[in-house]
Amino acid sequence: MNDMLTSRERFGLLVIDEQPDRCNIMPLITSHAATVKGMKLRDYYTNGENMARAQIATVEKYEHDAISIFSEVGIIAEAMGSEFEYPENDLPILRTPVLEKKDIEEIKLPSPRADGRLPVYLEAIEYAYAALGDRIPILAYIPAPFTTAMMLSDPNKFLIQTIREPSRVESIVDRSLAAAIELCYHVIDAGGLPIIVDPLASSSVVSPKTYRQYALPSERKLVDFLHRYDLDIILHICGDTSPILDLLPQTRADLISIDQVNMQQAIDKLSSRVRIIGNYDTSRLAFSTPEDIEAEVRYMVEGALHAKKGYIAATGCEVPIKAPEKNVVAFIDTVKEVGWYWV
Amino acid sequence: MYQDLTPEKISLREWSRQFRMVGDSEIRQFKYYNNDEWGIYLSPPATFMVYGSRQLKKLKFDNSLAALRLWGFTFNESERLFRARQSGKRIIAAMGDLGTVPVIALAFPDCIPFYPDCTWWTPFFNESTVLLDKASELGTPEASCFVRSTLAAFHKMAYFPKPDILFASTGASCDDYSCIMQMVEDMGYELNWLEIPFRRQRRSLHVPEEHTVAESGFEYPKRFETYLVDEYKRVWQKMEALTGTGDLEDLNASIEKNNRIRRLVNEIKDLTQTAAVAPFPALEMMIIEFGNLYGYADIDEWLDILKMIKQTIADRVEKGIGVLASDAVPLAWVTPTADPLLLNIVEDLGGRIVATEYVINQALTTIEEGIEPFHALARSFMNASLIGSTEERVRQIARGVDSGKIAGVIITNMLGCSHCAMETRLIEEKLKNVPVLAIDIPAPLGITAQLRTRITAFIEMLR
Ligand code: SF4
Repeated sequence: MNDMLTSRERFGLLVIDEQPDRCNIMPLITSHAATVKGMKLRDYYTNGENMARAQIATVEKYEHDAISIFSEVGIIAEAMGSEFEYPENDLPILRTPVLEKKDIEEIKLPSPRADGRLPVYLEAIEYAYAALGDRIPILAYIPAPFTTAMMLSDPNKFLIQTIREPSRVESIVDRSLAAAIELCYHVIDAGGLPIIVDPLASSSVVSPKTYRQYALPSERKLVDFLHRYDLDIILHICGDTSPILDLLPQTRADLISIDQVNMQQAIDKLSSRVRIIGNYDTSRLAFSTPEDIEAEVRYMVEGALHAKKGYIAATGCEVPIKAPEKNVVAFIDTVKEVGWYWV
Repeated sequence: MYQDLTPEKISLREWSRQFRMVGDSEIRQFKYYNNDEWGIYLSPPATFMVYGSRQLKKLKFDNSLAALRLWGFTFNESERLFRARQSGKRIIAAMGDLGTVPVIALAFPDCIPFYPDCTWWTPFFNESTVLLDKASELGTPEASCFVRSTLAAFHKMAYFPKPDILFASTGASCDDYSCIMQMVEDMGYELNWLEIPFRRQRRSLHVPEEHTVAESGFEYPKRFETYLVDEYKRVWQKMEALTGTGDLEDLNASIEKNNRIRRLVNEIKDLTQTAAVAPFPALEMMIIEFGNLYGYADIDEWLDILKMIKQTIADRVEKGIGVLASDAVPLAWVTPTADPLLLNIVEDLGGRIVATEYVINQALTTIEEGIEPFHALARSFMNASLIGSTEERVRQIARGVDSGKIAGVIITNMLGCSHCAMETRLIEEKLKNVPVLAIDIPAPLGITAQLRTRITAFIEMLR
């Protein structure tokens, strides 16, 4: 069947509880776009126009339903003073967390138009919005406060501090929250729909207790801030979130993107309250065959398509940078075959 | 509590900055259908820009809370219609009649009238050819007017829900649009047609017959009133069949409520157009005028918004403050601009709109109360300028011009509009006492530097 709606129209219907022509397809195609465009990774994440052009080329190739402005979760931490190395063909690597050099009180709030690579992100959003903003949502990934907090610190020390120095961790998270809000103001004015990503709050990284104590309250504050704008907010946490599934609606996010979770369990627990996004295993995209992918995606979509408040077919995590294009095509084509509502 | 700042027109970014000062309780205070979960609508323009209304990035907006409410409410209409259906209300599509069918529909409980025609703004607000391209794909000629985007919207069903009933006008309403409605019918929608008579003047009749005069001065054969009454009664019967109810007292109540809106809008127009300094921008004023047609799918909330706007304007007038320079050149605007940006541009270049003729004057005149309601509706509709001769329309515009407060007239000529093609030249020729600038409205994103130069030259010449 042919699409009847644009991606913009399709997402617009989903977020007002209406069924679109078919389910939205939003695999987390982030830095993989550089591969599609034949661009060096460093050229992708240090230049806004490059990032946007790579994303546009990717959408034109795969015809999925969102542009994803993102490369890695360090951007806010970098703008606050953490130092990163930029390998030519890899994502930035955290070298010196700012809290190794300064104390929390000394860290300034970033200026999104000036600090670190935040201007690169804003330029990418503006470029993509001007090119395709009437037809497709421009998703702007915002590192959540807990994840940023860990990138401001030595991650190992930070994890120990979550147990030994809760008030210090809280103040780092609060500072990160203020920085995320400042970035969101600019992202929204540029035309991007903020999507909150909190990979380091995953149960693969921290305990449910730590999640409840630090990550959840800061996610909720960020969602509440964005709800002032009446925006529909996606929260993505990769890895295993099974132990915290019941807590996720407390963030008040409107759409929850899951990774290593049993989809049926997620639907049972969440789908009457939030829209579900997920959760194809990205390692399969990297190493499997189109035939296997087709069978697995078909199974996933058929099981999730009628989730009560709606469903978006996606990968559980970022599409691997070097994933074979034929595998990504197999994912998208399969959803387009089985994900129809209007028949 | 948020306090309005000194009046001015501000950009989307400036509104975002200002929105930081709006409290959460103020945001939650305004809601449509009185629903707390999804009825909140007070958002800065940036919200709607994020959802695809790209032109908002270029527009300037009044900086009052009342204007913010106006924008939030009108931009929420598409969602509101879907929410209406989700919550069990009936969706009534009125097409081409411009102002009367909604008054009838609002007499029935939980019925929400709306105009699919209004989709013609979407390509401009979105700076997008998505709908126009789809309409062409569906068979409308490229050269038909922007209202063809309505056809695409019916095809896509992403801009409004499938209506429970559709009323479509033919006859003296726009024939081009009737063709679009026929194509909608071909898609499988069941249309209920009502015919609008052409308002013939006494001298154009072969057999003399009794004439009467509408409030706006248009003359028409008395029997047209009876004819329209029968048409409106058919609408009423269809509505009765749809809802299983029907009480003429409710129709009187609907007339009374619509009149409240019409009076309020006329008061707002008077205040704005006669003040020494323009207290409210032309773009917001146009949105206010068009709201008279149906109340943007929640008439009670719309009434409340209008009260707030009137208060804001009255305060500004009292203080002698406003949004334009005091020496702005007073202009009349004839025929609505499909592209909202033009109103902004004319003001930016030193113009001020002090009179409008947007072809919806029948929705601005009050409906007689205390008489048989269908007759009242029919008489009121006879004020429509679209259903008569160009000559009559010219005379009406000329009356405004002769009042002396207008230095120039801008007429917009819609690409593909057969009415405009004939009328614009005639109006231009016949308005002898005042300079006229005719502007061809280009497709979305089509405003050129050359057009700006023509407007600048016109305003400078008037100055
Ligand atoms: S713009 Fe002209 S052709 Fe189009 S609907 Fe209006 S009157 Fe008819």
